[in-house]
Amino acid sequence: MENSHPIVEMRNITKTFGSTRALRGVDFTVMRGEVHALVGRNGAGKSTLVSALSGFTSADTGAIRISDTRFEATGQNYAALIRDDIAHVQQTPRLFDHLTVAENLFIENPLIRKKFGVISHKSMLARATALLNEWNIDIRANAHAGELDAGTRQLLEIIKALSRGVPVMILDEPTAALSNAEKRVLFEHVKTLKNAGISFVYISHHLDEVFEVADIVTIMRDGQVVKAREPVGTLDVETIANLMMGEETVRSAREDHTDKSAPILLQAKGLRVNKFATADIDFEVRRGEIVALAGPVGSGKEDLAMILAGQKIPQSGQVTSPRGTLPTIGFVPTDRHASGYVGILGVRENVSVGGLDILSGPLGFIKGRKEADLVAQLARLTNVISSSLEQPVSQLSGGNQQKVVFARSLCRSPDVIVALSPTRGVDVGAKEQLYALLRDLASKGLGVVVVSDEEDEIEQLANRVTIVFGGKIVDELVGDYSIKDLILHMEGVA
Amino acid sequence: MSVQADTTSNSNAQDTGPSKLSAFGSAFVAQGFTMFPVLLLLIIVGAFVAPAFLTSRNLINILEQVSVLGLTTIGLTFVVLIGRLDLSLEGVVGFAPMLAAVMLVPAAAGGYGVELPGWMALFVALGAAGLIGLFNGFMVVKVGLNPFISTLGLLVLLRGGVLIISNGRSIYSPGEALTYLGSAKILGLPVAVIVFVVVATIVGLVFQFHRYGRALYAVGGNEEAARAAGINVDRVIWSAFFFAALLSGLAGVLLTGRLDSAVTTQGQGIIFSAFAAAVIGGVSLGGGKGTIIGVVSGVLLIGVINNLLTLAQVPSFYVQASTGAVIIIAAVLTTVASQRSSGVKTRT
Repeated sequence: MENSHPIVEMRNITKTFGSTRALRGVDFTVMRGEVHALVGRNGAGKSTLVSALSGFTSADTGAIRISDTRFEATGQNYAALIRDDIAHVQQTPRLFDHLTVAENLFIENPLIRKKFGVISHKSMLARATALLNEWNIDIRANAHAGELDAGTRQLLEIIKALSRGVPVMILDEPTAALSNAEKRVLFEHVKTLKNAGISFVYISHHLDEVFEVADIVTIMRDGQVVKAREPVGTLDVETIANLMMGEETVRSAREDHTDKSAPILLQAKGLRVNKFATADIDFEVRRGEIVALAGPVGSGKEDLAMILAGQKIPQSGQVTSPRGTLPTIGFVPTDRHASGYVGILGVRENVSVGGLDILSGPLGFIKGRKEADLVAQLARLTNVISSSLEQPVSQLSGGNQQKVVFARSLCRSPDVIVALSPTRGVDVGAKEQLYALLRDLASKGLGVVVVSDEEDEIEQLANRVTIVFGGKIVDELVGDYSIKDLILHMEGVA
Repeated sequence: MSVQADTTSNSNAQDTGPSKLSAFGSAFVAQGFTMFPVLLLLIIVGAFVAPAFLTSRNLINILEQVSVLGLTTIGLTFVVLIGRLDLSLEGVVGFAPMLAAVMLVPAAAGGYGVELPGWMALFVALGAAGLIGLFNGFMVVKVGLNPFISTLGLLVLLRGGVLIISNGRSIYSPGEALTYLGSAKILGLPVAVIVFVVVATIVGLVFQFHRYGRALYAVGGNEEAARAAGINVDRVIWSAFFFAALLSGLAGVLLTGRLDSAVTTQGQGIIFSAFAAAVIGGVSLGGGKGTIIGVVSGVLLIGVINNLLTLAQVPSFYVQASTGAVIIIAAVLTTVASQRSSGVKTRT
């Protein structure tokens, strides 16, 4: 393994979006055969930097060299120049749903091309099957990509990029949709390829992953590098977090506002969450408690939450309330880009869309004054930072977008909040603000249901953890528990 | 609330606040005023090119002519705002008044001999239009057809339907009940223009200030988000098709009134102009974006151009081609303006 020769060199890269300076003269170097983690808060410029590297978005100025390709960025598109030097796996899989797994894997791949651009289906299927076996993925090579679950889709995207045989790979939040087992497989492959001389640029919000796979860490803040090429061994979580934040941060601890005698707000009886569920689920939410639904991807925890929120119809069973009428429920969907906000509309419209009925008069016309007051109040409560309440939400940072989604869910003064992946793709600062918000709501007597894949998050928030596996509740943790308890219970060993 | 309330205050969105001028520009474009300077320019040019252009008679004439296209385009905007389209509106413009006509006039004049009383005229025309809209909504919401194909089919069907119910003959002078709206004048102002202005005002207010309008924008901008926010998305889609057809039926009645006859070819080609007017007016074919102010500017632009080319005695072959060219140029202009001002990319 030769570690001394840089394969990627970026010098003085700048990129401006409108009035936002996303990159302010960044230098970035990657050596051959290293896993180089890029960490920083949302909006620090990580994704922009790697996009500039892969040519997905073009840098405005600066010099770039990848392998033997060298050029000056001028804002013009240069992706075609470096096509064979670099592969970029984006945060969200971009697969062709109507093509098969094999076709997705080998699209535009010279390996299966014959004369005149004819594709060899036989060799494509054989190669795809071999790849799937190698990665332990149990799907047919001729299945449609649209049928696959999120984790498999993400893996396919990664395999596709890896099989192109490029010397540099960018993995942008590759594990967000992966289960622990899938993560293991991915990390094994990354290590194997690294030893074969492939370089990785690895972006992750999970510092434990960074410590596990990365050799070198570069930390970004506000479009600049604040720590370049630091060996991972010399860093610890505290140091990284401080550099990311630019100030000392304290991880907040959970608060307990639960009361055994508090009335039940929402009660599920005999639920079958999906057609694979084999047992009935009984579940309740009380005033003032934060309940977390935990479990592996595809366990049915999201289905359960969606049913509680009234967003999905259960296979059987029902959700009731002891008070007779169902309480008002605020809903934060799992993927804010897909179903959280309307990007081209402003903050005001996005928030008030959650409560149009209470904001409008008898003829249905929206009371402008009332709307402005409520939106301003909710934006303050959730700490939305925007240039004005009319700014399109697509222009906000991930954390602020998520706060807008929370503000929307609070529009009708709900009794219960159901939040799925409440801080997915959100930076540390915004995360803590959202945690504080949820605790505050619980202290005011709301029932809070959180679905999360992050143990840290659950431990910081939940007074009660319900572990869902295979469509049924398998375990529960109440009151005082440590993160170690949580992990052991989730792995089913406690 | 939290000790870190200000930790994201330096987040991307607002390193530098927008200047007053650019804020004005953004609002100008967002409200749909982009095309008005162009319109003004055209009017000034028109005044020089053709002396007859800037007379009140000609201006009223333009307004009267665009009222049919205007109502159809406003109808179309309902559907386009939710990210769908409706080609059958063109069929409705022809079919609805023809159905009313054959129900009204005696058998000798080409009717069915039903000879419904006059007050039923509007009821029949708009009722038929509304039912057609509900059918479109049903096909899209319940059956799950792509509206392009379902409304294309219906367009062809309605064109044939007009020939069937009229036996292939146009019906002349179908009666004042049907022609009043399109032909009468109040204080020198055609009723058609008043209808157009009233409808545009009401719909404009609904789009901007009514919860239904807000729901249209939300569904068009991100259907899943609208659903998660508690909007009854199916009902919004269904109703958009309903209102689109209803307004097109009204447009058809105005046209029949202006021509004093229900013509078998009535309305043919109007859907293309309606799409053009909507896009020129800044309505995004991707959904979620567009205002009635913009739509009105698009409709007026097409009306003024047609009028000017005619007044300037441009040979009729050239009129059509140059209208097309102007449509493309105007669409480029609005798209560029809206991308520049909002920074949000939309499909036009």
